[in-house]
Amino acid sequence: MIESSELPARRPGTGGTHPELALAYAADDGSFAVYNDYSAGRAVFRPRSETPPPPEVAATWRRTRDGGQVRPVAPADPVEGYGLFTFPYGPISMGVPESGRFDVRTYGERILALVPVAGYKSRRILASVCGQTVPDAALRIERLAGNFSAAHATAFLSAAESAAGASVPRGELWVRALAQELQRVYNHVHVIARVAEAASQNVGTAQTQALAEEMLRVQGSVFGHRWLFGALLPAGPRRRLDAGDRRDLSNVLRRHAATFDRLWELFLGSRTFVDRIQSTGTVTPSLAKEWGAVGPTLRACGVPWDDRLRVPTSPYTDLFLDLPQESGGDALARLLVRAHEVRASFLLIEQLLDRWTTTPEALEAPAPPVAPSRALGRVESPSGDLVYDVTLSGDRVASIGMRSASQANFPLFARGLRDGVFTDFHFAWESFGLVFSEVDG
Amino acid sequence: MPTWIGQAVRHGIVTSRYPAEPASEAEVPPTGRPPVAVKGSKLLPAGASLCPVGAISDRAVDRGRCIRCARCLPGGFEFRGPVESATRTRTGLVTGEPSPAAPEPTPPLAALSRSVHVFLVDAGSCNACNLEVLALANPFYDSQRLGVFFTNSPRHADVLLVVGVPTEEMVEPLRRAYDALPAPKAVVAVGVCAISGGAFAGTPGLHDALDQLVPVDVYVPGCPPAPVHVLDGLLRVVGRGRKAEGA
Ligand code: SF4
Ligand code: SF4
Repeated sequence: MIESSELPARRPGTGGTHPELALAYAADDGSFAVYNDYSAGRAVFRPRSETPPPPEVAATWRRTRDGGQVRPVAPADPVEGYGLFTFPYGPISMGVPESGRFDVRTYGERILALVPVAGYKSRRILASVCGQTVPDAALRIERLAGNFSAAHATAFLSAAESAAGASVPRGELWVRALAQELQRVYNHVHVIARVAEAASQNVGTAQTQALAEEMLRVQGSVFGHRWLFGALLPAGPRRRLDAGDRRDLSNVLRRHAATFDRLWELFLGSRTFVDRIQSTGTVTPSLAKEWGAVGPTLRACGVPWDDRLRVPTSPYTDLFLDLPQESGGDALARLLVRAHEVRASFLLIEQLLDRWTTTPEALEAPAPPVAPSRALGRVESPSGDLVYDVTLSGDRVASIGMRSASQANFPLFARGLRDGVFTDFHFAWESFGLVFSEVDG
Repeated sequence: MPTWIGQAVRHGIVTSRYPAEPASEAEVPPTGRPPVAVKGSKLLPAGASLCPVGAISDRAVDRGRCIRCARCLPGGFEFRGPVESATRTRTGLVTGEPSPAAPEPTPPLAALSRSVHVFLVDAGSCNACNLEVLALANPFYDSQRLGVFFTNSPRHADVLLVVGVPTEEMVEPLRRAYDALPAPKAVVAVGVCAISGGAFAGTPGLHDALDQLVPVDVYVPGCPPAPVHVLDGLLRVVGRGRKAEGA
């Protein structure tokens, strides 16, 4: 054990700026920014003329349109000391199935600083959809992060609809919410399985993986596709959502919800599991607000922010959402939040299926644009706040910006691992639910 | 007092009988089958103009391009192709009439005829292909029962499984991983991104075809392929793939 007084000196002034309110999104061209006012529980929209985004924060979030830049996705965290070296881990790294790099400053035991480096798998999606029609662009956007496809499709489509001033049939909005909640359950269950695997909970891992597979099968049977590709697009695979199908779905999900409850009870009863993830990858509330953490990462440090409540759209405005909140900020707190959210999502789905809209054809007006032909689409993806900024020219995408939950949370993962040990890496990594493809675009 | 054993018994997970028996409907959703032209449909060949990735030409579908978007369905196509659609050649992925592709000869690659140790490389994926490959370890598929193991080191692997459309930035790491595998080795391209660029074909800065970078031994189409498809592809490496249905 190394005492903190023995730790190498950290250069002052690298802790980032301390904006009063963290940014939710800063437009690429700097024309505006959206802030989350945590104390008031609302989002604040600021045009360019007002407070500019704090540069150090904004720099990690702003999109490079042309992609293909291998770059750090968390601020530099320089530490100095005798015998320190930088150990690059990746881009093809053991245990992390996606390609990305982690530059670890260490002298062999502790992680003194960690900087994630992304861009290896940039598919240049944002650049390549410019000039495409909205439905064609949507085929790429939903593949921006396959396991968050419903969130990306919904955020993009609602931005495009607002930009075009196009009303949307209510039924579509309900279907989008259903798809998103199903995918949230899948992702949270998957994250719990990954953390359990890292903690060598073999039986629990297998059971939880099985439940994740069940959720993919549910998505496949309702939407024709295990990852919901095409599910929210006009010409997608046939959906099975008539009254009988909804009854079947509700029965199947009730069974899966009960299974989840039993699994989670067993996990919480396992001391080795709980001990292993406690105090790992801790994010403090001030760090979370400073860097603009989102999603379960934010809610795990006691900030009750969720787009479904703070910037709600139909049908969430009419549904009851039991929002979890934890205060530990560590991997355990993030898992507690996710587990609670699995239940909350099952409950949301039950409400959706019970009260399925009787007027699916009724048109709902889109949110107002932020400028002519330019609008934001914002949804709570499984890992948190996701923002699309779409400008249309006719029926085509003229320009597009995006800020994903993973982009927002990468700096927190890096800070959370600071001064940890190597064996913490996988627990921390999995508990954040970060996806490189969502950062690379 | 709940226990893991009690939970396991109650949950009753049924391990797939694939490939001894055909894949079940639960294992392969509608889009898990490639589209084929509906016999005698008057709509044809309208499908070609509806396809966003140019996978259709006349009545033939290039499964190596098809992203399963369903846009061709109103144009006289149906998701009714064979479940087993992995091939040993790129051209084998192009299917003509509604009849399934002729089964290909699948001689095992030398010295790889028992178990396979697989190293996964993500060359530029959306993450769904990665997760479908990893799903082979879940108790539903339990790929170890068939001698398919995943390894964390390319030096212990005999199969390089590549997902995603190779980005310029991943070409070098990909080549290094390929070189690190000891011979004899096989490369399996999983998902249409790796086969043809899939939904991203033609984007500057991306390599549309993995087989232009490293030799590919087995092609597994789909966007993403379901776990049984990946299993089929891996078993084809060792000559144990299921014959296409109806063949
Ligand atoms: S499903 Fe989509 S990609 Fe596949 S052939 Fe039909 S239109 Fe083309
Ligand atoms: S083939 Fe489809 S599922 Fe696989 S990486 Fe490409 S877009 Fe994702």
